[in-house]
Amino acid sequence: MIMTKAKTGQNSKMKINKIVLSGLCLLLLVAIPSCTDSSDNNDTTKQEKVRNIVITMIPKSAANPVFLSAKTGAEKEAENLSEKYSKISVTVKWSTPETESATEQAKLIRDAIKAKTDAIIISCSDIDSITPAINEAVDAGIQVMTFDSDAPKSKRFAYFGPDDIALGEAVLTELSKLIGGKGKIAILGGNENAPNLIQRVNGIKKAIAANKGIELVGVFYHPENEAAAIAEMMRVQELHPDLAGWAMVGGWAMFGKELMNKIEPGKIKIVAVDALPEQLEYIEKNYAQVLFGQPTFRWGKITVETVIEKIYRNKKVDEIIRLSPIPVTIDNLGGWSRQLRAWGYQNIPDNYLRM
Amino acid sequence: MSGKEIHKTAPSDKISNGQKFAYGLGAIVNNLLGGAIGYMSIVLNVGLGINPALVGTLQAIPRFTDALTDPIMGYISDKTNSKYGRRRPYIFIGAIFVGLVFALMWQLPEGYSEMFYFWFFLIGSIIFYLFYTMFATPWVALGYELTTDYHERTRLMGVMNFMGQFAWISLPWFYAFMENDRLFSNSVEGARTLAIFIGIFVAVVGIMPAIFTKERYVAVDGEIKEKTKILAGLKTNVALFFKGLLVTVKRVEFLKLCAGTFFLFNGIMLVGAFSSYITIFYVCGGDTSMGAKYMGLFGTINTMSTLAAIAGVTWISSRIGKRKTFIIATSVTMVGSLSKWFFYDPMNPWLVLIPAPLMAVGMGALFTLMGSMIADVCDLDELETGERREGMFGSIYWWMVKLGMALAFGLSGFLLNATGFVVDFGGAQTSSTFFWMRVVDVGIPAIAALIAIFSVASYKITEEKSYEIRSELEKRRASAQPAAAEIQS
Repeated sequence: MIMTKAKTGQNSKMKINKIVLSGLCLLLLVAIPSCTDSSDNNDTTKQEKVRNIVITMIPKSAANPVFLSAKTGAEKEAENLSEKYSKISVTVKWSTPETESATEQAKLIRDAIKAKTDAIIISCSDIDSITPAINEAVDAGIQVMTFDSDAPKSKRFAYFGPDDIALGEAVLTELSKLIGGKGKIAILGGNENAPNLIQRVNGIKKAIAANKGIELVGVFYHPENEAAAIAEMMRVQELHPDLAGWAMVGGWAMFGKELMNKIEPGKIKIVAVDALPEQLEYIEKNYAQVLFGQPTFRWGKITVETVIEKIYRNKKVDEIIRLSPIPVTIDNLGGWSRQLRAWGYQNIPDNYLRM
Repeated sequence: MSGKEIHKTAPSDKISNGQKFAYGLGAIVNNLLGGAIGYMSIVLNVGLGINPALVGTLQAIPRFTDALTDPIMGYISDKTNSKYGRRRPYIFIGAIFVGLVFALMWQLPEGYSEMFYFWFFLIGSIIFYLFYTMFATPWVALGYELTTDYHERTRLMGVMNFMGQFAWISLPWFYAFMENDRLFSNSVEGARTLAIFIGIFVAVVGIMPAIFTKERYVAVDGEIKEKTKILAGLKTNVALFFKGLLVTVKRVEFLKLCAGTFFLFNGIMLVGAFSSYITIFYVCGGDTSMGAKYMGLFGTINTMSTLAAIAGVTWISSRIGKRKTFIIATSVTMVGSLSKWFFYDPMNPWLVLIPAPLMAVGMGALFTLMGSMIADVCDLDELETGERREGMFGSIYWWMVKLGMALAFGLSGFLLNATGFVVDFGGAQTSSTFFWMRVVDVGIPAIAALIAIFSVASYKITEEKSYEIRSELEKRRASAQPAAAEIQS
């Protein structure tokens, strides 16, 4: 090299104070965690500043596994938030009727007001009975959020759930694909007074109106249990032996295995809302082709998260937060089964989990 | 020299541990600066509400400016004659200013429009990256020339890479620090404070390589006078710059190293996101808490294994040579990648941890061996061109790494969509989606590692060849020195 001069050999006399260098090097790396640690060490101060936030959770019933999954989601989120924010400790108080009862729910809301809970999250069994109780809670300074089933005219600050009209339309779209866009179909409607089910039925009807090849033979309501649902199905199938498909706004007929003894797999196509563990066999054996599963774990997780955003972080939250139901078919039966297990559902067959 | 003979490093070629450590401090600063913006940018979205697409744009634009500024800085540094050396003045000034700019660019005021923040941060980023280049390019080049010994170079790079890992260990904690509500009222305030910490650290620690290392090639008085001529001829310099750039990118052995790095590094980077998605949504069935736990454990094992791999690779390389060591280490990573097919099992989630140490070996070897091998290429280049151009080689190499990383992140999202992944479905993706996600996760790094092996397999600068080149260069320098002395007198 012409312009420079090579200096071979190192200056062995150069001494570097490694201790000083090490200290500088680790200055930042140590500084960050130590900032945190110094606060942690001051436990007494921290204890004094922690605000306990109690969220009372009032689902429709304790017997329904979807709400147990929602409870798991709520509790996990409460734990996460308590860990994330040092100044609050979030507790979820489970307070629900053993079996579905709007009157009991209204009573539980009033109990929560007396107990001075910080917030209530509720899935409403009935709008008329629940709305006044929600308003009383809000007037008492308690923030209320609904999930799954709304009370839209109440003073609740937000609702988390599916767009039921869109869900009904999605049910019909899937059924239409399965029957080649033409043929007779029936709607299994469950409780004819349930607002969310009415919306789903309306969604299906709306989609049928845009699909000239499909003929609706009727909407059939029944008490929300397995036997009543199956009985209604059999009655309709006898009246309409050429029925091509069932659009079900709820999965009551598949709560047990009885339906498998009554129908032939794949002969009449079935698309239904709900994809709980006990219903998965219907997909595996092709009795039902599409089930719309609801991410029930998120009912609890998202509502608790939203409540904290509102009451602790003072953030503006959307009044309607949409939940997207997930279509479950044989293609994602494995994934859906693993997701159910992750959400806290028990007794899911291993062969589904391995799919 | 027979195939089995191993050169012993002469005492005069050894770099003191203190100098290695001082140079390694530069790696901490370099990695910290390289990663900090990425890890802190979440605040722009979460804290200030800037659209994620704009945040992505803010991170992409500097990659294009780097394409120009990195080689120019390399050229300037290579051509600098000063009594302080070609590298150290830039490292010193660059470290102070990059620290200062970094601290200032995060002092984002609240209550302004999205576009205000966009332009504020964009201008700040461009200035930041200019000073970052001023620091990093000469620092990289300095590493290539601290010793002329084949093995000592690897040991230096081993120390550098080892120390540099500590920056990567600290980076994932930044978000938790900024979000810590014991310390700050919000993440924006956290980012402001963190940036000041980092700025001070960078300015103080970043100057250490400039103070405590010794450059091997420094100007003598007569040569410094020539500098004015060089700076005066802008046109000549531009021509020389492009000529040098062309010579560099045509250097076949250098291109092999670039290809090896590009494929191995970006193959792993490309599927980084996939591994997270597969762990959370496939292995853990959509349980984000469990997924996060396993990802954290995977990261810890991976980091520890990388540190061990760096030490192991440095030692093995002195026995069997750099090329063979690279091929073995990359093969281990390839096996690790393939093993994911069997170990990513939803029925036994803990098995995801097994490939972690295997995956780390190639990455640990990569930047230890490549730095050392590029230094060997610089010797070959000097032999054939008469110039030492570590700055140019280093800048092009690292720009290629940075560009590849940006492309990998961009392509990653595209590939995820192509598998049919629907975020709203969580763990309930179709079997076909999971199949293709796993094929990408396993296949891309394995194929990329294979290409990297083939790229480097024909690399010709062996230990024997390296010592031959060095001997030739020393003869040449010995004959040049009396001539230089005559000019001075």
